[in-house]
Amino acid sequence: MKNVILLTIDTLRKDVLGCYGGGNLTPFLDSLQERSIRFTNAYSGGPYTQAGFPGILTSSYYLDFGRQRGKCPPQRVLVSEVLKKAGITTAAFHSNAYLCAFFGWNRGWDTFYDSMEANVDEKVPYIRAREINRKAAGWLEFHKERGGEKPFFLWVHYMDVHEPYVPERKYVDEVDPSIKLSEDEMFALFKNVVLKRDVSNKDTVELLRKLYLAHVREVDEAAAEFFEILQRLGYHDNSVVIITSDHGEEFGEHGGLSHDGKMYQELVNVPLIIYDPSLKKGVVSETVVSTLDVPPTITHLFGVAPSGAWQGQSLLPLEAYQPRGVYGESIDKQGSHEKGDEKEVHFYREGELKIIYRETDDSWELYDLGDDPEERNNIVDKTTVTEYMMKKVIPRVRRYERQQQ
Amino acid sequence: MPNGKPLSKQRIEELETYIHISQNIVREAYRQFDPKDIRLVWSGHKDSTLTLWIWRETCKKYGFEMPRAVTIDEGDTFEEAEEFLAKMSKEWGIQLDVAKNEDVLRACNYTLGADVWIKDLNERNREEIKRIGFGDLERFPFEAESFIGNHLMKSVALNVYLEENDVKVIVQGLRWDEQPVRSDDPYFEKVEAQYLQPAQVRIRPILHIKERALWDIYHHWKLPFVSLYAQGYRSLGAKTTTQKMSDLPAWEQDLENTVERAGRRQDKEAAMARLRALGYM
Repeated sequence: MKNVILLTIDTLRKDVLGCYGGGNLTPFLDSLQERSIRFTNAYSGGPYTQAGFPGILTSSYYLDFGRQRGKCPPQRVLVSEVLKKAGITTAAFHSNAYLCAFFGWNRGWDTFYDSMEANVDEKVPYIRAREINRKAAGWLEFHKERGGEKPFFLWVHYMDVHEPYVPERKYVDEVDPSIKLSEDEMFALFKNVVLKRDVSNKDTVELLRKLYLAHVREVDEAAAEFFEILQRLGYHDNSVVIITSDHGEEFGEHGGLSHDGKMYQELVNVPLIIYDPSLKKGVVSETVVSTLDVPPTITHLFGVAPSGAWQGQSLLPLEAYQPRGVYGESIDKQGSHEKGDEKEVHFYREGELKIIYRETDDSWELYDLGDDPEERNNIVDKTTVTEYMMKKVIPRVRRYERQQQ
Repeated sequence: MPNGKPLSKQRIEELETYIHISQNIVREAYRQFDPKDIRLVWSGHKDSTLTLWIWRETCKKYGFEMPRAVTIDEGDTFEEAEEFLAKMSKEWGIQLDVAKNEDVLRACNYTLGADVWIKDLNERNREEIKRIGFGDLERFPFEAESFIGNHLMKSVALNVYLEENDVKVIVQGLRWDEQPVRSDDPYFEKVEAQYLQPAQVRIRPILHIKERALWDIYHHWKLPFVSLYAQGYRSLGAKTTTQKMSDLPAWEQDLENTVERAGRRQDKEAAMARLRALGYM
């Protein structure tokens, strides 16, 4: 039986990876393609960590259990819980505060490192990918020493492309050597521009995008290092590695920065790659899939039954996947939890069509991604399928509150 | 032995050296202080029990008088730890006091999670809440390890005890590898008096003993410990907010590569600070 490794990269846009047409920033991740199934239409369950990770780890949607403010309630069944019960060793190494033990994400893991005890710098408010690699390597060595035959599920998560964008000099030089900002100046851009979501100066937005890309370079190297660790410890050939992201990042495409509650492609259409060294050649799938499909894919690889609570389906075998529409949901940034006026945002994608509903202004947008991949041309009033698409979304708006009544 | 392997002769000598270093710190304490002024803070958990054992062995060896010990009852403790304290204090002849913030417990009707109205608290507790920056609050839910709960139920309970009993020196079972914030704590630390906080000297005899060495000492010298560690708890805090890390006994877990306190309630403030630094909230 093979091991399964889930490598997630926070805030990673799909279109910055070379294999998805994004230039040459990620030679290592691109090199995996010859042995991978790569999904071009994979969607996150939402546009930020709290909205996206319930899909990746629990095959459930963000608002299934009301507004949990990032807490992982017991109704969500973590993939680690299912695997641990089935006798698979489970380990997690990450540094995202939203996914820490305090919020309940530590269930089912034999080993759970969330870095919350570590002191971090305001410019790098997380443990870097290299250090995560080191900790995961230590665990892999430990696993090996204890016999090493028992299959394991290892989740490794990198935070390094998340803002503040303060990349190391050498990566900035690789992206654009003409950028001569000091670390303090980069951090000032985070404070004065990113946090204020100020897109008024196009050059500044472009500068921020380049700093972000420098972090993407950095993460590609960290991923290469991680695979070297797998090689060194003899775990490369007998492991399947699933690579994905919880959400993307906006650089002014739809009037904002960072990742708020919006549902456009740059935020919710994420990379999803299943690397299996035993594959004879790379496969590209254009099927519309969801990161909610990740947990059942992992249990499938172990030959373990999925949880009945899960809403996704296994991506493997690819031929057996039943194509269907995918959803995503979030809370609009404009509302306030304290004032109780939070509003929901939803999307639904089926075929080439994607519909977005914003409760804040009761607005609908419909895009034909085949003609309009950048979502510029709202066709909600111009098509006969609008009603069909709306009917998919309407029952999901405030569904938890209605179920409680 | 942990992991079923007997310790090598070299390892045993290493452990003896660690204990020797700790015993020298105890001897230094007796050169400087009167045992009547000293209290060992003893939760019954693994670190403070090792500290107490080493202290007691040193007393036996050098004929010192054993000081009293004090345990902090935060209102949310494991029964197993309470029973362990009762049993071992009797067996080892330890005079054990209890420091407890009764006023807070009374205000929430001895119920975890129930609201404590700040107007129902005594002046000292009200002043303490103001001191830590929550002066504008009307009430808070009683949780032993929330920011306010931790302060009132642990720090204040202990400080009041120290004041009332005129204690000048406390002995703490802290270890350098327990968490990064401890990594440069000194063996002897003089803390000046501050508003609402008595002057005190803190002695930490087992700082250098790492988690692996601690368990090796427990097994080699057959020290008693709370059964929860055998069930997979690595680090014990308040009962309702401490989780098992694994079903493996603590000493069989991957001590070197994982965080000892990961099963403990993560400080919400720390999580919030991280999220703010990432640009949220």
